[in-house]
Amino acid sequence: MSANLVGDVTMRYADLRPQSPADAAPVLLLHGFGTNFGMNWQAAGWPQALGAEGLRVIGPDLRGHGASEKPTDDGSYLPERFVSDLLALLDELDIARVDVVGYSMGSRLAWELALTRPERVRRLVLGGFGPVNAFEDADLSAPGEGTTPFDHVYRTVSALPGNDPAALAACARGQAGRPFRADPPVRVPTLLVAGAKDAIAAGAGELAATVEGAHVEVPGRDHLNAVSSRVFKQAVIDFLTS
Amino acid sequence: MAEENVTFTLPDLGEGLVEATVLEWQVSVGDVIERNAPLVEVETTKSAVVIPSPKAGRIVALHAEEDRVVPVGDPLVTFAVTIGDDAPQAGIVGKVPTEEARPARRVRLKPPTD
Repeated sequence: MSANLVGDVTMRYADLRPQSPADAAPVLLLHGFGTNFGMNWQAAGWPQALGAEGLRVIGPDLRGHGASEKPTDDGSYLPERFVSDLLALLDELDIARVDVVGYSMGSRLAWELALTRPERVRRLVLGGFGPVNAFEDADLSAPGEGTTPFDHVYRTVSALPGNDPAALAACARGQAGRPFRADPPVRVPTLLVAGAKDAIAAGAGELAATVEGAHVEVPGRDHLNAVSSRVFKQAVIDFLTS
Repeated sequence: MAEENVTFTLPDLGEGLVEATVLEWQVSVGDVIERNAPLVEVETTKSAVVIPSPKAGRIVALHAEEDRVVPVGDPLVTFAVTIGDDAPQAGIVGKVPTEEARPARRVRLKPPTD
C-alpha cells in the first residue's frame, strides 16, 4: 500500500508486506537524486526480490522527489531534514529498527541516519556510493549549465516527468551544504555495493575498509544500471539474512 | 492439455522511450517461469528495469542476446503455455488444430556472467 505521512513536508511512502513474513527487520529503501521509489527500486525488481525472502519493504519518496512535497529552499534539503523525515516515518509505522539500503544520494542519507541514530539501524547497505564529492567543480547556482558529471546528472533528471528542476537544484545545494565525511565512521554492520564502472562510487572499497564493512563490485555495470542487477540483490539478501 | 507458443514483444516502457538494451536474462531456454517472476533486465536511457514475465510457461526462445538494443515492439521471448483442451482460444470461433509446441527458432546465448 501507499500512504502519505503529513509533516512539515508531506511524504509519500510504500509499505509492502510479504505474503510469508520472516522474523526479520523491515528494509527501508532510499532512492537516489532525481528519481523516486518506483523508478529506482520497484521497477528494478527490489520489492519482489526482498518480498520473496519474507522481508517487508518501506519505500519513501524522499522530500523533493516523486509524489512527496517539493520545497524549493535549500535549507529544506540538509541531510538532517531527510533524517527527521525517516525517523518520523519509522515512528509512524512503529518500527524500532530497520535495515537500510540506499542508492547514490539515498546512501548518503542512509549513512547520516545510521550515524546519528545507530539504535534505529540494524544493518546498512550503501549502493552506488563512494567518498568522492558528487558536486566536484559544479556551479550549484546554475546546475545543469556546466560540464561536470553532476551537471550531466542534473540535466537528465530535471527532464523526467514529475520532477521540479527548482526543487532538485535546492536539493543539490542543501546536500552540498554538508559535504560527506567518512570520519566519524558509522558503527553498524555495513555493506557497500557498486558497479565496477561506476565513477560516482569511486573509493567504495576504501570506505568499506574504513567502516570494517564488506564490499561487492558488480562486474560490467555503471551507476545507472547496477541497481537492477541480480548480483546486487543477491549480495544484499545474503548480507541481510546471514 | 495442450501447449501453444506465445511471443512477447518489448513493451512500451513509457516516457517516449523507443528502445532498450538487454542487460541480463533472468531465465534460460527450457526454464519454466511463473507469471510476474523476473524475466529480463533491460536498460533505457533513463533507468534500469526488470521486466516481469507476462505469462506462466516454458521458455522456448530468447530473441535478443545480452547487450543488444531492442526496439519497442520487437520480439523478446517466446513461451510455450499450457492451454486446457476445453479452453476457448481467444479471437477464434470454432476448433482449430493446436500448434506443435516446438520452438520455431533457437537462439544461442552467452552463459550467465554471474
